[in-house]
Amino acid sequence: MRVTGWAPVASPGLLMLRGPHRKGNAVAAATSRSPQYVAPPWRPSSILDEWVQREVRPISLRQLTFFGRTLTQDRLIQGANYARLELPTRIAHRLRNMQTLPYSALKNRHIAHVYELYYTAFERFRKVPEVRTLEDNDKYCEVLVQCLQEHLSVIPSLGMGVLEIQDSVSSEECDRFMTTLLRSRISRRVIAEQHLALTETFHSAWHFPNAKKSAMAPEDDFVGEIFLKCSAKEIIETCAATATELMSKAYGPVAIPRVAIKGHLDTTFPYIPSHIEYIIGELLRNSMQGVIEQRQSSSPKPIEVLICEAAQSVIIRVSDQGGGIDRAILPYLWSFAKGPRRNMRLQNLEQVPKLAGTMQELRWADSTGPDRSHSPGSGPSSGEKSGSSLTALSSRPPDLRLGMGLPMSKIYAEYWAGSLEVHSLEGYGVDAFLQISKLGNRNEVLSTRATMDAV
Amino acid sequence: MLILAAARAATRRHGGAHLVGRANKKRGIQTATVTDGAIQQLASKPLHALTLADLCSHGRPPLSTEQLLKSANFTLSILPSRLAHRIQSLRALPYIVVANPNVSQIHNNYVHSLSTLLPYAERHIETLQDEIKFTEVMADLVETHSNTIAVLARGFLEARKYISAEQITRFLDEHLRARIGTRLIAEQHIALHFSSKAHAELSDHHETTEQSSYIGVIDTALKPAEIIRRCEATVGEICELKYGVRPTVVLSGDPETTIAHIPMHLEYILTELLKNSFRATIEAGMEKEPIDITIAPAPENEDWRAEQKRAMEKGSSAINSVADHDTSTADAASNTKLPPGASANIQPLDCSSPGVTIRIRDRGGGISPENHTKLWEYGFTTFNEDEINDKTSGTDAGPSALDMLSAGAAGGSSLAGLGYGLPLGRAYAGYFGGGIAVQSLFGWGTDVYLSLRGVGKIN
Repeated sequence: MRVTGWAPVASPGLLMLRGPHRKGNAVAAATSRSPQYVAPPWRPSSILDEWVQREVRPISLRQLTFFGRTLTQDRLIQGANYARLELPTRIAHRLRNMQTLPYSALKNRHIAHVYELYYTAFERFRKVPEVRTLEDNDKYCEVLVQCLQEHLSVIPSLGMGVLEIQDSVSSEECDRFMTTLLRSRISRRVIAEQHLALTETFHSAWHFPNAKKSAMAPEDDFVGEIFLKCSAKEIIETCAATATELMSKAYGPVAIPRVAIKGHLDTTFPYIPSHIEYIIGELLRNSMQGVIEQRQSSSPKPIEVLICEAAQSVIIRVSDQGGGIDRAILPYLWSFAKGPRRNMRLQNLEQVPKLAGTMQELRWADSTGPDRSHSPGSGPSSGEKSGSSLTALSSRPPDLRLGMGLPMSKIYAEYWAGSLEVHSLEGYGVDAFLQISKLGNRNEVLSTRATMDAV
Repeated sequence: MLILAAARAATRRHGGAHLVGRANKKRGIQTATVTDGAIQQLASKPLHALTLADLCSHGRPPLSTEQLLKSANFTLSILPSRLAHRIQSLRALPYIVVANPNVSQIHNNYVHSLSTLLPYAERHIETLQDEIKFTEVMADLVETHSNTIAVLARGFLEARKYISAEQITRFLDEHLRARIGTRLIAEQHIALHFSSKAHAELSDHHETTEQSSYIGVIDTALKPAEIIRRCEATVGEICELKYGVRPTVVLSGDPETTIAHIPMHLEYILTELLKNSFRATIEAGMEKEPIDITIAPAPENEDWRAEQKRAMEKGSSAINSVADHDTSTADAASNTKLPPGASANIQPLDCSSPGVTIRIRDRGGGISPENHTKLWEYGFTTFNEDEINDKTSGTDAGPSALDMLSAGAAGGSSLAGLGYGLPLGRAYAGYFGGGIAVQSLFGWGTDVYLSLRGVGKIN
């Protein structure tokens, strides 16, 4: 039964979705019964209002690290309560963003799908009672895991939705909307995944009473999801290997450019591995594809990666001779919303949710994911489940062009106060510059209510 | 005819300030008093949106007398109001700044130039004699304003207590861009005059065919690699003099590329960029590492042709909007939004040729984050305070070798170390839809991307 119209509903979450566990299928099923798309039904907004009023408390990589370094039960509980309040606050802000989009935008099935997912999550999060014991924490962790899994399809859904609502919403507004949502999504996932990882660490130390009393992670260099000593060189090499493999699978027996690394090879910095691997992976993929598709010679010039370390930042420059960026798409390089390749992007995006599902199945079957190859022991395995949305995207076949790699990478780079810039020498090649803050002491970059209201 | 010889040398110069005795300029040139009313009236007219096609539309050199007169009258129709706008703009600055002797001198120069054009008000140039006189006026204009930037720079430096950096930047961005255009219009006419049939007959001097790729000051077969090598030699020599060492330049990409552009402009830009790179490289002790310059011509492919078609349908102003994307993500500090005076820019030809990107990579250690924010400010420099004081006091110990480098298109001496190189270079590059983007790798070196649009094909 589908509820339409504006009748206030006492129990939200039972409307378009039958149970929150089916990603998107329920919506598809519902809409197949009646071809008319309807915007999500209205709920009383007073509760949402309360949460929207709350200020977000941003964190920095360094704070996360220090917090997780000495784990005691008290600290863990504290962390749980921070998450318990932060997550619904942040989602509430995003829900309000979505509610202020034009009505016709919410009629779009992809946007509506994400809206419903978020609302369900919000309802679930806000009802979590105060965490006082380890048992409470375990229950809370279950809620977190469930949400993380359900929201795997958010990125492709948003991607498709944004491309489809071009007629009712300007592309600038679409880009702003997408950027805000993605930033917030990263932040919520970081908070959730970090807490899950720390819980796991805490329990594993608990199970091995011979381990250090301070209950630090067995590998000192990991604090939850954060790897304190990401080696620039190793990450680049790993991503290069993955990209090379993908290319040879996709293009067959074609000459794939090798990746030559130079500069300050000993550079390390603290970061969340899946994030940095995603960004570098995207850059290398773009470069390799550019070179391969030029089909210039049988021994293509290598892709040159330079690592440059300064006191406060690390800059990684990826230079290729892949012919540069097409003039036609150059103006839309950083946009989610427009460009001459819109239709192709839409078609390709539709394939991704299936991809996320497949990767999920693969993950359950084989618990060692490709993005943990740098850790000596096995890292916290909860990280794999939650990292899989990025991993799915990272391992998509090269011909699945989503047109989102660069803008997404930029959001990830900027999230920890870094930056990503690209210079194209048309007809020759591209230089990409990724800047990472080494100290980890800058707060996460979020779009505040103020910046949204100013729109 | 001394003035003509002087002016001719002025248009052929490739570097080194051209100094002509000021006394000459008054000889034979009529002036009329410039009233405030006249300025008001001229400035109230909107600036005509010029296209380069306008400048080249009079014909391919050597021009006939009839074509030459057309060029003269066209020039006459647009210059006075441009000058009036400049005067208004200067007068809008705080009194205490314009009262500074240097700034005041520039203001007077503009008033003087307008005074030389007023006698032609309401008149048409109809004879060759008139045209020759008019060309003298143009030569006087070019010469008078040849060291405007250096003098203004000095003036603003002296008056820096009374005006903010933003105000200076805003004023100069607009003023210098407009100046490029005004100068171009004048120099174009002068060059067309000298390459005209009438002139050839009058002076018994036959132009050699080597000039055939030129249309006025535009060289349709300009080879960036040649200009780079020339600048490399000049800057290298100075470094050898000053530091005892000189870095080398390695060219890659497509050095044989040619584009249609204005040699003087390109030479100025490249000189400034190489000065920065060479100096940084030497001071970082990396002079053994060559400076890596890649010349990448943009392909003239399907996409480009489609874009040209679209641009022509929309009108030539569309080309400038795409041009900002030549440097896709220009660094944030460079603020590549065109200032309000941009309507004074000359639009490139409708069928602009695809252009070229030149990437200059050095190992000079990069730009620190603090300096990076000030990169595009006029007057920001990492030369030391003492050198600045030398320049602002009247006691120049003669222009130093590095100072001489900044002569040429920018005119005048003593520009080095005043912090004008980058913003001015960008003004030149951007004038026809190109740009400069700077990417610093602090701790390693700097990458500079100079993109140039060809100023066009002329059919």
